[in-house]
Amino acid sequence: MSAKHREFESEALVHMDVLYGLALRFTGGDDAAAQDLVQDTLLKAYRAWDKFESGTNCRAWLTTILRNTFINDLRRRQARPAPVEYDEVAERSVYPQLHEEDAEGGFFDRIVDQEVIRAIEELPEDFRVPLVLADLEGIGYQEISELLEIPVGTVKSRLFRARRRLQQRLYRYAVEMGYIR
Amino acid sequence: MTNDEQPPGDAVSPEGGGTSDELSCEEAARNVFEYLDGELPPDRSEKVHRHVEMCRRCYPYFNFERAFLDYVHDRGMRPARSAELEERLNRLLKDLEDRER
Repeated sequence: MSAKHREFESEALVHMDVLYGLALRFTGGDDAAAQDLVQDTLLKAYRAWDKFESGTNCRAWLTTILRNTFINDLRRRQARPAPVEYDEVAERSVYPQLHEEDAEGGFFDRIVDQEVIRAIEELPEDFRVPLVLADLEGIGYQEISELLEIPVGTVKSRLFRARRRLQQRLYRYAVEMGYIR
Repeated sequence: MTNDEQPPGDAVSPEGGGTSDELSCEEAARNVFEYLDGELPPDRSEKVHRHVEMCRRCYPYFNFERAFLDYVHDRGMRPARSAELEERLNRLLKDLEDRER
């Protein structure tokens, strides 16, 4: 095994599970698309390996490649985006419904991980992608606006709606499961 | 100020806001995510902060939304494992290495 290969394995390949998790969130749980995305990312990283400075944050470097790869592909696919449906009812905070029973949102912690992940992955793409960028990756509005080539106001309103939808869904799930009344 | 019966959190639009010195609960609630994301201009952020700190309705509400965002971040970043992907990548890297020899 070559030195480059060994180094790549120990520094880059170890992040495969993180990359695959993020890829699933981006692609809405599409396993084949997520696998392709991770493969493309690692292939690009391998080819550019001599540009990577050993000892710097490899995970951050890889997630940036993954994000850019996904977004370039998204832009190609969305040359003519479908209009997003707005549902006002689903866009309110669940807080007024449960502030007397669970003002601190303790019910969130009782929801199994898989349900949260499914809820994120099943958001419509226009809402899901800004949410993954902002809430999972911690990217600011301005940078999301540049990445997705949409105005900051649109980032704000999509993020707002994504969070509300997600919250409503988790709330309904918690009620169904009897975690809250 | 707004009535005391309704808890905040009913705002349906992230836009807008007043210009007076004191914010109403509705105005503060409309900025909740931008505030928690650290995306408000400093003077507006300061106004929201002052309101929330002193308001017995908004204080727990803002904490609730913060708990929600923290929760989405923690759970959402969960890694995933695929034996199929692992095998696929190992094959790919082996091919690349062979070609580079």
